[in-house]
Amino acid sequence: MNQTLDRRRLLATAALGGVVGATALGSLAPEAAFAAEATAVEPGMPDPNFAEGRISKISGNMLLVTGSDTVLHSIRITGGTSIWKLQPTTFDQVAVGDGLYARGVRLPDGTLAADAVWVNIVNLHAHIASVGRNVLHLDHKGQHIVGHVVPRLSAAVYNGTPAVSDLSLLRVGRHVQVLGAWHPDTNEIDIATVYAAA
Amino acid sequence: MAALRGEVSWFCCGSAWGPCGTAGGGACGTCRSGNYQHAWPNTSDACLAITRPDACGITGMSRRGCGFRHYTTNLCNGARVGTTIADCGPQTDLFCGERTCCGSACGSNRIIDLTPAAYSAIASLSTGLRPCSVDTV
Repeated sequence: MNQTLDRRRLLATAALGGVVGATALGSLAPEAAFAAEATAVEPGMPDPNFAEGRISKISGNMLLVTGSDTVLHSIRITGGTSIWKLQPTTFDQVAVGDGLYARGVRLPDGTLAADAVWVNIVNLHAHIASVGRNVLHLDHKGQHIVGHVVPRLSAAVYNGTPAVSDLSLLRVGRHVQVLGAWHPDTNEIDIATVYAAA
Repeated sequence: MAALRGEVSWFCCGSAWGPCGTAGGGACGTCRSGNYQHAWPNTSDACLAITRPDACGITGMSRRGCGFRHYTTNLCNGARVGTTIADCGPQTDLFCGERTCCGSACGSNRIIDLTPAAYSAIASLSTGLRPCSVDTV
């Protein structure tokens, strides 16, 4: 049985039925889910099953999103949609003004039935300018970014070792990759993971 | 080019929101987060002088220009995506020796950055970094 096709078909069905909160899709391990995606997009071209932008309106289970290139997207959240906002979360945590990336299945009416939505996610390459109590001041391409350490959630990966909650080994001047969630319309983020080289 | 094994991450480019808003179109001027594109460390002499994969002992990273196709496989799940060069990067030398694994499948050193559209086709954006192999066919 092709589990992916079944999942996608169910997802589209759920979207068309306007089902929110259903668990009919069950769950796939994240890596398995992405492994199963068939990609027929020509290299270099836009992916019709992907969207990005900022949420301008939330209506029921629909997100109306204005793309950064001004294209408008209708994104439907279903019971099978995985939502990330600093951590895996639920639809009620999504707000107007949030930025997002979404991947799913494009329905005949142009709506994107979302398989996954990453809200406010950023992946910054930066230098540590200074370190404060529960905060990292980052220089990202000349921009000052304030990175908030979120107790019990923020983690550090030092040279590929397993993620740990101890960020005390981070040093001023070090180059880091910071995965986190942006605070809309500010220069601040909450830190999910800091990757630091040896 | 023989398949090159290393690490893959993602970056935003083109019109964008948040801290990505100043990203621009990349070294090739064509980069967009929603397209299947990537950054490659050896697109020119000037690019190579910044990224310095040789500082990490990487050999066999061919000089390739804007629009060249590479295929990246996520070693965690076998998913594969084809993309074209749209920018210079990643800055490999800043993470020399870094190693990422999924079980016994590992990759060392950053060799390619994908756009969000491309990365999310083979892994969740929230993973941030994955071991990969890159080839041209």
